[in-house]
Amino acid sequence: MKILYGWVRELVDVTLTPEQAAERLIGAGTEVASVTRLAPAGLRGVVVGEIRAIERDLGESHGHRLLLCRVSTGREELSVVSGAPNTRVGVRAAFAPPGASLPGGRAIGMATIRGAPSQGMLCSERELGLGEEHESGLFELEPDARLGADLVAHLGLEDSVLEIEITPNRPDCLSILGIARELSALTGAPLREPAVALKESNEAAADLARARIDAPDLCARFTARVITNVTVGPSPAWLAVRLRAVGLRPISNVVDVTNYVLWELGHPLHAFDRDTVADHAIVVRRAARGERFTTLDGQERTLTEAMLVIADPRRAIGLAGVMGGANTEVGPRTTRVLLEAAWFDPACIRRTSRALGLRTDAAYRFERGADVEALPVAGARAAQLIADLAGGSVARGLIDVYPAPRPRRRVSLRMSRVRRVLGIAPRVAEAARILGGLGLPVTERGEELEVEVPGFRRDLVIEDDLVEEVIRVWGYDRIPSTVPGGVTGVVSQPRTLRQEAALRQALAGAGLSEIVATSFTDPVTDEALAGDGPLEPLPLLNPLSEDASLMRRHPLAGVLAAIATNARRQQPDVRIFEIGKTYGQHQADIVEPRWLAVAVTGARGPAAWYRAPEAADAYDAKGLAEHALAALGVTATEVATPEPAAAFEPDLHGVLVTPDGRGVVEFGEVSATVRERFGIDAPVFAALVGLDALLDHEPAPSRHQPLPRYPAVARDLAFLIGAGQPVTAAEIESALRAEAGPLLRDLTLFDVYRFPDGRRSLAWRLTFQAEDRTLTDDEVNTIQARVAERATAGFSIALRSR
Amino acid sequence: MSHPRVDLIAGEARTAIAAARGASELEQARVRYLGRQGALTLLLRSLGTLAAGERPRVGAAANEAKRELEALLEARLAEARARERREARGRQRLDLTLPGRRPPRGSLHPLTLVRDRIVEIFAGLGFSVAEGQEIESDYNNFEALNIPRDHPARDMQDTFYFSEDTLLRTHTSPVQVRVMKAQPPPVRIIVPGRTYRRDVADATHSPVFHQVEGLAVDRNISMGDLKGTLALFAREMFGPGSSIRFRPSFFPFTEPSAEFDVGCFLCHGGGCRFCKQSGWLEIGGSGMVHPQVLKNVGYDPEEVTGWAFGMGIERIALLRYGIDDIRLLLENDLRFLGQFA
Repeated sequence: MKILYGWVRELVDVTLTPEQAAERLIGAGTEVASVTRLAPAGLRGVVVGEIRAIERDLGESHGHRLLLCRVSTGREELSVVSGAPNTRVGVRAAFAPPGASLPGGRAIGMATIRGAPSQGMLCSERELGLGEEHESGLFELEPDARLGADLVAHLGLEDSVLEIEITPNRPDCLSILGIARELSALTGAPLREPAVALKESNEAAADLARARIDAPDLCARFTARVITNVTVGPSPAWLAVRLRAVGLRPISNVVDVTNYVLWELGHPLHAFDRDTVADHAIVVRRAARGERFTTLDGQERTLTEAMLVIADPRRAIGLAGVMGGANTEVGPRTTRVLLEAAWFDPACIRRTSRALGLRTDAAYRFERGADVEALPVAGARAAQLIADLAGGSVARGLIDVYPAPRPRRRVSLRMSRVRRVLGIAPRVAEAARILGGLGLPVTERGEELEVEVPGFRRDLVIEDDLVEEVIRVWGYDRIPSTVPGGVTGVVSQPRTLRQEAALRQALAGAGLSEIVATSFTDPVTDEALAGDGPLEPLPLLNPLSEDASLMRRHPLAGVLAAIATNARRQQPDVRIFEIGKTYGQHQADIVEPRWLAVAVTGARGPAAWYRAPEAADAYDAKGLAEHALAALGVTATEVATPEPAAAFEPDLHGVLVTPDGRGVVEFGEVSATVRERFGIDAPVFAALVGLDALLDHEPAPSRHQPLPRYPAVARDLAFLIGAGQPVTAAEIESALRAEAGPLLRDLTLFDVYRFPDGRRSLAWRLTFQAEDRTLTDDEVNTIQARVAERATAGFSIALRSR
Repeated sequence: MSHPRVDLIAGEARTAIAAARGASELEQARVRYLGRQGALTLLLRSLGTLAAGERPRVGAAANEAKRELEALLEARLAEARARERREARGRQRLDLTLPGRRPPRGSLHPLTLVRDRIVEIFAGLGFSVAEGQEIESDYNNFEALNIPRDHPARDMQDTFYFSEDTLLRTHTSPVQVRVMKAQPPPVRIIVPGRTYRRDVADATHSPVFHQVEGLAVDRNISMGDLKGTLALFAREMFGPGSSIRFRPSFFPFTEPSAEFDVGCFLCHGGGCRFCKQSGWLEIGGSGMVHPQVLKNVGYDPEEVTGWAFGMGIERIALLRYGIDDIRLLLENDLRFLGQFA
C-alpha cells in the first residue's frame, strides 16, 4: 500500500525525514519496501502561468490549431505557441519557461514555430509526467492558483511515497492514520486524528433511507449517512493529486471521497445513488444460490448462498465488502448519496473475493478485519467531505444497525510474563506508556497492566500479544543474547542421517556427483517408469503445469532428468547419484519411501593419457550398488530370476537381495523407451537401493579376526563354457565355494574372456589357508582336483588349464 | 692402532674398492676381503695361531679395518646403485609434468553442504534431528499452527493440495507439531527438510525448496535464548565476526515474532547488492512458540515456554556461494555441481 508521507504528517507531528520514518517503521515491524519522491524525476522549473491573450492563429498542425499566446508568470510575459484544444484567455495552466526541464530530462528553451517565437511551453499532464492525459490539452490549474508558483510545490508534490507491506495481523496499518499512530508510539509525538466538523441539515436521514441486517452473523454492523443536493463532478486538484500519488484513479468527487477516507482512516465505504435504491431500503442478506449480479466493473457474477449482498427489496445492489453494483452507481445525475459504512465477517469476505476472483481494496481490508467502532467516524468524515466538495448537505442523524455491539476485549499483562518470555522487561511505567502510545487504554495495577483493546487492534488477543507490542516499540535490540541452560543429555541423531551421510561419502568418494531433483513429474513419464510399481499416483489438485502435475513415484526420475539436461549441454559423460524420496498411495496410506538412485552414462571416467577410453556398462551400476551396500555394512546376494521392471531393459536387469529378503537393490540398463522419453540417446546404467528397508541392517559391531599365522596357497582354475550354455558365473562360483570347504580363504573371479564364437572363459583364483599349519601341496592339489571336478561335471564345462 | 699384516690387507682392499666400477665389482671386492673366505676374515679366524702377545693387537687392528672397510663398501655401494639407477632412467626418462593418475573426484550438492553444516552446528548445541512427512495434513501444516482456514495468513504461503485436507507442507513447522505431540518437554530439535510453495519458478523462487527449522521448549526458555542461540549459529556459519539483528514480524504460530538478519558477510556492512545496501542479510523467521500452539499439542504454556526459528537452505546457499539464480540448484548441470566443497 502506498502512503503519502506528507499526509501522515498532517496526523502526527514528527520531524523525521521520510527515510528516517521508514527506518523506524521497519524497526517496529511495518515493512517499508521503498521510499520514492512524488515529483516525477526531472520535473524542474515549471510554474503556474496564465494565458493573457491569444495574439495570432498560426494554422493547423496534425489536427490541432496552433495559437500564439501571451503567457504571464506574474513576473514577466512571454510569447508561447500552443496547440492545445483548451487554450483560452484567462486559463491558468502548467507553464515551462525557458530553462525549465520536463521528466526524462527534456530541457525547455526558445524555439521558432511557423515563424513565430515560442519562449517556453504550455504542458499537458503527460508531458509533466503526472498522468496519461494529453489530448484534452493543457494541465489546467485552479483560477486562484498563485501565478509564478512552482508547480511541484503548488501540487503538493514535494513529498514522498512510502510503499508499505503489512503482515496479515495489522490491517490497522493499512491507513494514513494507522501509520501515524505507529509513528506517534515510536516517537512520542502526539497523534491528531482528522477533525470531523459535521454540519447536519434539518432533514432526517431516517426519513430518507432505512437499513436492516438479515444476516447478523456475517454483518455485525451497518451504518449509513445520506447527503442531499450533491453535484457530482471532478475532484479538486489537491484531492486528485493525492489519490494519484497513492496509486488510485480519480473518478468523481463523491467516489474519490470514499477512496480518500479509505486511505486516510482505513475503512472501506460505499456510495450508492440513493434514488436508485428501491424503497430507499437496504437489506443485508445472504445471496440466493445462483443469484446474478452485475458489479461496478460491468461483470455479471453468479453468487452462492455463502456470499453476502447489500440489497434493496427488489434486488442486490452491492456485493458486501467487495464491490458495489452497477445498478446503484453514483453518476453525473446523482443528487442524493447514500453512504454505507459497515462491518463484515472477514472469512466471508475472503471466501467471496477468492471465489469470484475479485480482489479489491475493500475486500483486502475487510478480510483482515476492519474496525467496527470506526464506522460512525469514517461515515461522518466522508459525508462532510462530500458535502464540502460536491455541495449539498448531510442529512441529520446516522442510520446505525448494530444488533449485538461487540465489547472491547480486556487483556492483562504481567511484567513477570514479559520477563519470562523475553528474558528482559522494561519498568511497568514504561510498558504502560508504550501501550498507551499505541492508542490502547491502560490501567496500571502494581506489576500488572490491564489493557482495553479498541476495535482497530482486534489482533491483540492474549497476554503474549501485548508482550510483543511492548518489545517492538521498546526495541528488539534490547532483547539480550543468552544461551538456554539445562543440558538434556547426550543427543542421538536418527539413523537415517548416518545412513545417508555414509552413502554420500562413499559415492562422492567414488567419483560421483550428488544431485538434488524436483519431486514433481508429468503423468506420462511417471507411468512409463512406475506404471508397474506398487504405488498409486498422487496428482496435485492445483499444479503449476502439466509437466509438474504429480509426485514422482520412481526414483530414477531425478537422475534421468539430470542426465538429459547434461546431454543437451554437451556433457555426455555423467556419473551421479541422488538420495531422495518417491511419493505415492499404498493401499490406504500415503508413503514417502527414501531411495538411493545411481546412474552412469557415457565414458567411465574422464579421458586421460594413462587409461584407454571405456564406455560405462551395467557392471558400473552393479559395482556402485555393491559399493553403496558395503558402505552401509550390508550384504546382499543375487536373485536368480528377477521379476522384470518397466524401468530396465528386460535382459539387462539384475536384483540383489539382503539375507532377510527385505532389502532390495535393482540395477541394469535403463529401458530405452524410458530414457528416450527423457530425450537421452546413449545407454544409461542405473542402480536403485531402497533405503528404508536397510535401516534395520545396522551391522553388528565388528569383531577382530586374528591374522593368519601360516602361509596361504593360491591356485587358479579356468573353465571354458560353450556358446549358448546358460550357466552363470554366480552358479559356478557357489559350486566352487561349496566344494572347496573350510580351507578356502578367498575366491576371486579374475579373468573373463569371450571368444568370437561365443564360448566364454572364466578364471578364478582360489586361496587356501589353514589356521593351525602350513598346507602341503598334496592337500591343496586334492582339494583343487575335487573342486574342478565338481564344476566341470556339474555344469558340463571344460577345465581350461591348471 | 695398526698392524703391518692388517695394514697390508686393508691397503689392498681399499685399492680394490676404489677401483671397482659398479655394484657387482664392489660385491666382488667385499667377497675377496670380507667374505667367508676373504683375506681379512681368514686373518681374524687365524688369531688363535698367533703368539699370545700379538693376538690382541692383531685382533683389534683387524676388527677396526673390517669396520672401516664395511663402511667404505656401504658408501660406495650406495653411490654405485644411485648412479646405476640414474643411468637406467636416463635411457627412459619420465616426464613428471604429465598429469598424475588421479582417483575420480565426486561432489556433494551445495544444498547438502549447507544443510549438513547447519545441522552440525545445532547438533553441537544439543539439538537432535527430526524429520517429518512432506505430504502433510492441513491440520499439522496450518490449523495446529494457528493458521485457520479463510485466514489471510494463508496468503503468505501459497499451497499445493492433493485434497482439501492433504497438502505439500509449506514449511518444516508441522514437524514441531508432530514431535511435541509425540513427546513431553523438554524438546530441542533441528528439522531439515523439503518444502513446497506454489510459486512460479524464477531467479529467486522455486516451488520446491528446503528449510531448516529449530525448536526448543523447556521450563525457562526466553526470546533472549533464541537470540543468543542464533548469534552462536551465525558466528559458526558465517564467520566469527557475524552479528545478528531481530526485526518484529508476524507468524501466526509465534508470539512475539521476529525476522532475523545476519550482518552482511559479503560486504561486512559496507553495502552491496546482496544486502541491498543495508548491511544486513535476511536469513529467516523466528519467535516464541505461540501459547495456542503449545496448547494444541497438549503442553501447558504457563509451565513451559519455547522458541522456534526457520530458514531457507537455498537462501543461505545462494549467499554463501554467490549463486544468482535459485533454479541452478535443481538443474544439476555437472559444471555447476563440481564447483562446491
